[in-house]
Amino acid sequence: MKGSKTSLSQIDTIIGSLLMILALVASSFIVIIATFIAIRGILPFITDNNGLGSVNVLQFLTDTVWLRGTYFISTAYGAGFIIINTLYIAFLTVLMSFPIGVLTALFIAKVAPRPLAAAMRTIIELLASIPSIVFGLVGVGLFLPLIYQLARSLGYSSGAGSSVLATVFVLSLMSIPTITAVAEVSIRQVDESLEHASLALGATPTQTRFKITLLAAKSGIFSGAILAVGRSLGEATAVSLVSGNARSGPSFGLFETTATITSTLLQGLKETSGIDYDIRFSLGILLMVVILTTNFALNFIKRKVGNVHE
Amino acid sequence: MIMNKVIDTQSLSLRYGEFTALTDINLPIFRNKVTALIGPSGCGKSTFLRCLNRMNDLIDNVKLEGTILFNGQAVEGVNADVIELRKKIGMVFQKPNPFPMSIFDNVAYGPRQQGIKNKEVLRGIVEKALRQAALYDEVKDRMNQSATRLSGGQQQRLCIARALAMEPEVLLMDEPTSALDPLATQRIEELIEDLKKEYTIVIVTHSMQQAARISDHTAFFLLGELIEFGLTSDIFANPKDKRTEAYITGRFG
Repeated sequence: MKGSKTSLSQIDTIIGSLLMILALVASSFIVIIATFIAIRGILPFITDNNGLGSVNVLQFLTDTVWLRGTYFISTAYGAGFIIINTLYIAFLTVLMSFPIGVLTALFIAKVAPRPLAAAMRTIIELLASIPSIVFGLVGVGLFLPLIYQLARSLGYSSGAGSSVLATVFVLSLMSIPTITAVAEVSIRQVDESLEHASLALGATPTQTRFKITLLAAKSGIFSGAILAVGRSLGEATAVSLVSGNARSGPSFGLFETTATITSTLLQGLKETSGIDYDIRFSLGILLMVVILTTNFALNFIKRKVGNVHE
Repeated sequence: MIMNKVIDTQSLSLRYGEFTALTDINLPIFRNKVTALIGPSGCGKSTFLRCLNRMNDLIDNVKLEGTILFNGQAVEGVNADVIELRKKIGMVFQKPNPFPMSIFDNVAYGPRQQGIKNKEVLRGIVEKALRQAALYDEVKDRMNQSATRLSGGQQQRLCIARALAMEPEVLLMDEPTSALDPLATQRIEELIEDLKKEYTIVIVTHSMQQAARISDHTAFFLLGELIEFGLTSDIFANPKDKRTEAYITGRFG
C-alpha cells in the first residue's frame, strides 16, 4: 500500500511540473514576440540603413508624411498622422457600433420573444465568426461604390470610395457582433429583482430597461466596448482594402483616404526591402504600444466608472 | 368590523398554466391597518400579494379570475392603468434590492421617472422618505455614497424609503425581514408600527411571532385557499379552523 501511495504522489509531482513547463513555454511566447519585434523595429533608428542615415525617432513619432523624398528612398518616415488616424478611426468605430450593439443586445435579452431572441443570438454568433477578410470584401465590393456615389452626389471627391467612412463601416460591422454578444450576456445576468423594484415603483418597462438594466450591466457592456476597440486597432487586412492607404494626414474628413498603423504596416510589405521593410517592424512596436496604452486607459476608466456604485 | 376597505378581492383565483395557485380568495385590506398573510411555503400568500400591484403580469401563462378592487375600482381590465396602480401601491421585496446607484438617487428614482426634475423638490422628497423610514440620521452625511455599501438592514430601510418616496397609499411587504438579523428585523418591525399611521400595510411573513407582534389582521393561507381571516388577536387566541390552529401552534409549516 505504501509503495502505491508514493508512486501516486510522484505522478502528481510529475504532472505538476509538466503543467508548469507548458505554462512557461506558452507565456514565454509573449516575451519572444515582444523582444523580436522590439529588436527588429529598433534597427532603423540605430543603424545607418545602408548609407541613408538613421531615422529620427521624434520625426517618426510626429511627422505627417510617410516616406518623404525623391524616388521613395529616404529615411523620412513620419507616423504621427498614422497614430492619430488609428485612434480617430477606433473612436468613430466605437461611436457607431457601441449604441447599435448595446441596443441590439437589450432587444435580444429583454424585448424579443423567445424564438426570435434565439434566432438573433445564433445570427450574432455567426457574424462574430466570419473571417475579417470577408468583411473586407464586403467593404470593397459594396461600401466603396456606394460611398463613391454618395461623395460625388454631395460634391466631395473620394479615392474611389476608399475613405475614413468605409473603414469605419467595415470595422463597425466587425465590432457590432462582439459588442452585442458580450453586452447581451451581461444584460441577461442583471438581477431581475432590480427590474421588478423599478416596475413596482411605477416606472415603465422602457424606463426600467434604460435606467436600471443597462446601468446594472454597465461593467460587462464596457468590457464589450474594450474588446471592440482592440479589434478596431488591430485589424489589418480588411482595413487595408478600404482605407486607401494614404501616405500623409491626418485624415479627419469622412470621405478622405486614410491609413492606420496596421494598414501601413501591411501595405507592400512583401514587395519591399531595406529600410522600407525594416520600418514595418517599428510600426509593429508602435502598434503594440498603442494597443497596450489604450487597453490600460480603458480598463482604468472602466474601474473608475464601473465600480462607483457596486 | 365596519372599516374602510382600501383593497378588496372577490372570488380571486389564479393559475400558472395548469397549476392553481389561488382559489376563490375573498380578502379585504383595511385602511391604516397592518394585515399579515401567513401560511406554509407555497400556500399562495406571496402570489396573492403580487396580485395587488399586478406584479404577476410579468410571469407568462398567468390566468386570473375574479375581481381586485383598489379604492372601489378594478385593478385589472381595459380601464385599469398598471402604472398608476403601482404608484399608489408600493412594494418592498424579500431580499434588499437597492439599485446600483447612490443613496439619494435610489430614493429619488421613483419621483424622477414621473418627471420631477427640480433639485429642491427632489431633495425634499428624499429627506422626507428617509426620515419616515428611520434612515435619515444614519445616511444624511453620505447621500452620494453607493447604496450597496449599506448594511442589509439599512438597505432594506432604504428600499422602504424608496417606496415611500412615491407617497403610496398601500405598502406591500414580501417577507421583508427574512434576509435580516434579529436586530435589523426589530428595527423594521418598529418602523412598520410607525408607518401604519399613514399607510396601509400588507405583509407576508413566515414568522408567526412577527405576525402576532405587528399586525392588526391576519389571513391564513393553505394550498392556495384562504382558510381564515380576522383580527390577529382572535386568530392567535381562538382560531376557528382546526388547520389554522395546527399551523399557529407549530404542528406543521
